Amino acid sequence: MKPNTTWNKLTHFAPGRALLVAMLASAPLFPAQAESIDELKQLIQQLDQKVRILERKAEIEKEGTDEKAKTTPRITVGNSGLGVSSADTNFVFQLHGLVQVDNRNFFNDGPIQGNDTFLLRRARPIFSGTLYHDFDFLFVPDFGGGARGSSAVAIQDAYLNYRYEPWVQLRVGKFKTPVGLELLQSDAATYLNERGLPSSLVPNRDVGIQLWGDIAGGVVSYAAGIFNGVGDAQNTSNADFDDSREFAGRVFAQPFKNSSNISLKGIGFGLGGSWGSTSVTNTAGLPSGNGFSTDGQQQFFSYNTTGAGVVGDGNHWRLSPQGYYYRGPLGLMAEYVVSDQRVSRNVAPITAANLQNTAWQVTASWVLTGEDATFTGVTPRKPFDLHGSGWGAVQAVARYGELDIDNGAFPLFANPATSASEAKSWSIGLNWYLNRNLTIKGSYARTTFDGGGGAGATAPAAVTRQPEELFSTRFQLAF
Amino acid sequence: MTNIRRFLLTGFLVAGLTSIVAAKDISILNVSYDPTREFYVDFNEAFSKHWKEKTGDTVSVKQSHGGSGKQGRAIIDGLEADVATLALAYDVDALHEKGGLIPADWQKRLPNNSSPYTSTVVFLVRKGNPKGIKDWADLARDGVSVITANPKTSGGARWNYLAAYGWALRQPGGSDATARQYLAKLFKNVPVRDTGARGSTLTFAQRGIGDVLIAWENEAILAVKEFGEGKFELVSPSVSILAEPPVTVVDKVAKRRGTEVVAKGYLDYLYSDEGQEIAAKNHFRPRSTAVLAKHASDFTKLQLFTIGEVFGGWTKAQKEHFADGGSYDEINKP
Repeated sequence: MKPNTTWNKLTHFAPGRALLVAMLASAPLFPAQAESIDELKQLIQQLDQKVRILERKAEIEKEGTDEKAKTTPRITVGNSGLGVSSADTNFVFQLHGLVQVDNRNFFNDGPIQGNDTFLLRRARPIFSGTLYHDFDFLFVPDFGGGARGSSAVAIQDAYLNYRYEPWVQLRVGKFKTPVGLELLQSDAATYLNERGLPSSLVPNRDVGIQLWGDIAGGVVSYAAGIFNGVGDAQNTSNADFDDSREFAGRVFAQPFKNSSNISLKGIGFGLGGSWGSTSVTNTAGLPSGNGFSTDGQQQFFSYNTTGAGVVGDGNHWRLSPQGYYYRGPLGLMAEYVVSDQRVSRNVAPITAANLQNTAWQVTASWVLTGEDATFTGVTPRKPFDLHGSGWGAVQAVARYGELDIDNGAFPLFANPATSASEAKSWSIGLNWYLNRNLTIKGSYARTTFDGGGGAGATAPAAVTRQPEELFSTRFQLAF
Repeated sequence: MTNIRRFLLTGFLVAGLTSIVAAKDISILNVSYDPTREFYVDFNEAFSKHWKEKTGDTVSVKQSHGGSGKQGRAIIDGLEADVATLALAYDVDALHEKGGLIPADWQKRLPNNSSPYTSTVVFLVRKGNPKGIKDWADLARDGVSVITANPKTSGGARWNYLAAYGWALRQPGGSDATARQYLAKLFKNVPVRDTGARGSTLTFAQRGIGDVLIAWENEAILAVKEFGEGKFELVSPSVSILAEPPVTVVDKVAKRRGTEVVAKGYLDYLYSDEGQEIAAKNHFRPRSTAVLAKHASDFTKLQLFTIGEVFGGWTKAQKEHFADGGSYDEINKP
């Protein structure tokens, strides 16, 4: 056995083979071979050292990599937007966005001008994040035109949230008041372009402070807050218009959320409500636009604010039982709202009344391509790709709703010749989710009215003169 | 009489309740370097007992250990250390210069330049000293595998480096050039450079890598005890460096946490007879002459030089040897 040959063989040995060589080396041998065996042992020791050194170096390198990872900020870019976080995730900054470009076409709408339009409905950069692990924030400006088109930039959400535990959180700032179910659904996740009639009777965004939380992973969610108070469907102007506050709260249960029973786990039901009082003689406490609107965002009812000086003047409470059911591609949502508000007029005959307006709706949806329907939207299994086999997800939607104005509103507080006392609306739609970020929606809505329809070229008279027939589409980018 | 008894009883009760209410539970963090781990386990226990007897307060001392430089940076980056007990003054200076956490004259606040115990650098070799290692020169011989940590990250390794450098300077014809040539050869014999002194001890003693470990004296003795008597031998070189690890209260943190008094008491206790005894039992050389005399047989007598004598202090040594472009970078050039 020549030393060079042995060396060449050893250097090509895998580490595990060293054991075999060691066993061979320790076997009894003739004296003539002893010198070679000593060399062999020495080579084995050298090889063993090399292996140990390599292993240790790998360990040290891994320790260094792990240590570096502990302090290296992370940047993520994906379908959830841009995210930057500290290595310990105590500090997080995220950039999301929402752009909705709509087209509205009204049929057989007589003299109404300017309502067939392309509309930049929403254009929102969304900034969110976390500071010191427990403090979250959200800031959402909107450069879009809003429901009726506007060039004003508005701040939709701006709040801080302290997250002590998921079940005890405190939020302060401007955000959605916890009353209506569909109104609390994300603007990017609504199944039809515009929310249904019940959302006309609940407060929209307001400034206030809210204690809230998700108990047992969301089996029970609660929210209770004090707000400035806004009229039905109103967004706050970022300051109160009177000296009183409004209390709002909501409890929502999904008792089978953590169950393995797929037929039950998608059940959710709850109750939202608010109570407040308006005490100044202006119209800020009245509904948005001083009245109520259709799916096409056209006003079918208006308080007589100019002729009779109608204002919100006294207690205003709302109650909204609500629920949904999701199972696989099926989605059902139902909501009822009663909004009871005391209004007064300052033109003879000067009087006041408690008006109780009600609305309800049922929405049903079915994802034709089989994906799960959820309250937060639909995620296609196979994103649309002309070069591949994916076509995204397609969902069919239908909705029926009604809004009934208290008969006591007529004729002192609203003009029965121009305003409808009731609106009934049904809609059907088809949504194409190309991927998690891009959606195209098309829907047809027909709304009929009781009352109104008198003389006049503007809303609400011109709107209530005939049923509203609307075909609308939406191109949506959300990330 | 009855009134007097009631008065006294009430007084005792009030005093008792007051003492119960006044007694506090305090927690402080000592951020230290690798080889002090076992020492501070013993010391913290003794200090808690001492502080309880002295003040009635219950003190819990938490420990954090790692490479000295890395530990110093962690404090600057926000690790809430009430006291820092690092391997070298340079790392503590950084708490002032980069963190503004302590005053510039921190080293004057405690005796012996705020260094309550010392150590030195020795060699640990395998049983029988198969490579015949006796002094620094042997570490640069071909075929000798040397284990020491990375001086860029480990305070202990910087002491090792300077000990070797100081020895080379003292050789006949010794100069910076010959010292650097020597160090270059020595570090070519270092196959693995851990980030901390404890890591290099494990590399040598547990993983069985290398022929000789350059280590603090206490670390070497501990390794012998920890990993089995008879497996290793301690070799003292002809000359070595006097390692003077400093301690300080991290003023800004202690003030914010309201632990200034207990943090100062903690460091003062290091200088007490009890503290010095615990240091000696953990193989650190005590400053107290009485305690050192008592443990004289535990520490080999060898010629020691200080960093001030040979390198002009830590600031200068850091700049010349361990900063970017220093001698350590130079000797590692391919």
